Amino acid sequence: MEFAWDQADVAFRRELGDFLDRELAEWDRSETGLGSAVYSEFSRGFVGRLAEKGWLTPHWPREYGGGGQGAWQHFVLGEEMWRRGEPRGPQYMNVNWVGPAIIKYGTEDQRRKLLPPIARGEVFWCQGFSEPEAGTDLAALRTKAVRDGDSYVLNGQKIWTSYANVADYCFLLARTGSAADGRDGISVFLLPLNTPGAQVRRIPGFVGDHSFNELFLTDARIPADCLLGEENKGWEIVRRTLAYERVGAPRYARAALVLDRLAAEVRTSGRLADPGIQEQFGRARAACEAARVLVYRVIDERAKAKEPSPMAYQARAAMVQAERAVGDLALDVLGSEALVEGALGDAQFRNSLGAGIAAGSYEVQLNLISRLILELPKD
Amino acid sequence: MDFEPTQTQRAVLDALGALLARYAGPERSRALAARGEYDWNLEEALRRDGFLDLFAAEDAGPLDATLAVEAIAAEIGAVSAVPHLLVLPALGLDRPAGPVVLAAGDPGPVRYGGEATRMLVADGDRCFAADLDSVAAERVPSAYGYPFARVVIAGRAELAPGSAAAMVNWWRVGVSAEAVGMMRRAADIAVAYAKDRKVFRRSLGSFQALQHRLAEVNVLVEGARWLVYEAAFAGAPAEAAAVAATHTMSALGRVTRETHQIMGAIGLTAEHDLHLWTLRLQALRAELGSWRTPSRAAAEARWATA
Ligand SMILES: Cc1cc2nc3c(=O)[nH]c(=O)nc-3n(C[C@H](O)[C@H](O)[C@H](O)COP(=O)(O)OP(=O)(O)OC[C@H]3O[C@@H](n4cnc5c(N)ncnc54)[C@H](O)[C@@H]3O)c2cc1C
Repeated sequence: MEFAWDQADVAFRRELGDFLDRELAEWDRSETGLGSAVYSEFSRGFVGRLAEKGWLTPHWPREYGGGGQGAWQHFVLGEEMWRRGEPRGPQYMNVNWVGPAIIKYGTEDQRRKLLPPIARGEVFWCQGFSEPEAGTDLAALRTKAVRDGDSYVLNGQKIWTSYANVADYCFLLARTGSAADGRDGISVFLLPLNTPGAQVRRIPGFVGDHSFNELFLTDARIPADCLLGEENKGWEIVRRTLAYERVGAPRYARAALVLDRLAAEVRTSGRLADPGIQEQFGRARAACEAARVLVYRVIDERAKAKEPSPMAYQARAAMVQAERAVGDLALDVLGSEALVEGALGDAQFRNSLGAGIAAGSYEVQLNLISRLILELPKD
Repeated sequence: MDFEPTQTQRAVLDALGALLARYAGPERSRALAARGEYDWNLEEALRRDGFLDLFAAEDAGPLDATLAVEAIAAEIGAVSAVPHLLVLPALGLDRPAGPVVLAAGDPGPVRYGGEATRMLVADGDRCFAADLDSVAAERVPSAYGYPFARVVIAGRAELAPGSAAAMVNWWRVGVSAEAVGMMRRAADIAVAYAKDRKVFRRSLGSFQALQHRLAEVNVLVEGARWLVYEAAFAGAPAEAAAVAATHTMSALGRVTRETHQIMGAIGLTAEHDLHLWTLRLQALRAELGSWRTPSRAAAEARWATA
């Protein structure tokens, strides 16, 4: 065991941090959703400069515009971004898993066409998985894709599609087999959102601007080469490409940042001397740190190119706990000041309501831990 | 001991229910909240029908008034019910038209602070009635349901000795009663969803992992509810009021987390009603200083810790 950082990683973190502090000096991190106009506009310019430094897709293979960087450096990058409020906006998804999925399963044509714009930071992607009747039970999805000559015709509805309002493409799951095929009848489509018949509608919510959209598909006709990988093998593609993303974004880094800022605020008012308040801060800090170390354990596995293990579910669950602890602390300690729109703690609290729902719900993580780690019987 | 509601309580709640069906409920609350308004009509109707007099009424009393506060909150009535139905009568003060603000020390943004002209402030052992300058009040935007503002004091007078304790104790009981009404609604919504929603060809509520959590929420809310009733019945003694508020505010955190978690993404949308209760609950949580302030008060009342 060795908990010290590699010199190269330390140097990278410092260089990156200096760059970000310069780049972001003027940026008003308004703590709204990543899909808000402020974020997406800023993101478009910012990621371009990041790309010039080779820091947008450093973990991609060199032949596709990447830097061939290792798992730890990729993660350092993610951490530094999230602790600054994720200035890449919705881009983090493209670079983390959409690109790698296309690299692994795409045809040479798809790679040539779709990867360079991602690597240059010119496009946004969104993830069209959930449907009204298919959330946790994703395999119940019903959106249909029917082959017609050299195209597919899509019909159905996606929901909760974050960033669809700003996205150029959707990484879409649709049924090419029959409903009875369950997971076996699902395919992945790389859908250009300007396709006639594809319509995005915003769903107002209170967990960050533009977190939620609906995507309606009415006889949306796309060329057959929008299919990624083989027909009906979509579940496998998603399982494999998202395996490395299972821990998700290092949101504990943002929670820890908010916690530090809360502590500074409470210190100013003199209340950080209160033992009860210290206790709650200590507990929230511990929750953030536990999430961090459990995530690091997963990155270690990744760096050693091992098969992804169920440890990722522990990390995700711990991350949800950390986000909630900081959100609760904000309200318990700051009181009504935290209720003011845009105040310190406001976004943290509201986003923490969705923390255990987005990107694989908390209960799903617990079910998987019970089954795969504790090996509890199924019934 | 008798846990059954009395004839009077039944009659009060029936009459109030009919009134609230006209002057409250999710739809009206959304409309008022969108304009950031206090519900002057509801307050006027409550006054006209005698609900503001329940506390000191001969055939009713503080518990009846507390039940009414709970019912008003459950229907998201946009009035300042706790001051009007509980705190002002407990202090023997008259009830001015319009919202009244309650605060301990220096308040941050307060609900209905923009329209209020009167504030009661507990400052240690002392209690003041302050006049507010509603023109100067600074309205602040918030996602938490109520219109909030930072108030500006125009002048104040000290109230009789003992007023601070009475005010704080009834404040705790009253806001807890509001929270109970709202938590019951939120929990009902989540339970209904658990019954209707199908996942993996079963209803969501058939998973034991969720059943236990909904059951725990139910136990917490029932505990809070009866502590609040008992404290109100006893006249809000310091310990009972603090204990009821502590339990209610802890339950509130858990109810918020669990109801939203069980509802999945739909519960986080503006279209769905759940947030009408859960976000307002956070305002109540902030108003009483979360579970921490009443919890310290409970320890102090019981063991003289200070
Ligand atoms: C902020 C946010 C952003 C999102 N972004 C996207 C996006 O970009 N693209 C996309 O496709 N989707 C997105 N989603 C949707 C998300 O994937 C779904 O909300 C999630 O899968 C849960 O589905 P549901 O909301 O339908 O809840 P349901 O499936 O109805 O579940 C409700 C609750 O029941 C629990 N539950 C379900 N089954 C079990 C069980 N067997 N045992 C115990 N508990 C169970 C769940 O964990 C959940 O808490 C987003 C959601 C949020 C909140």
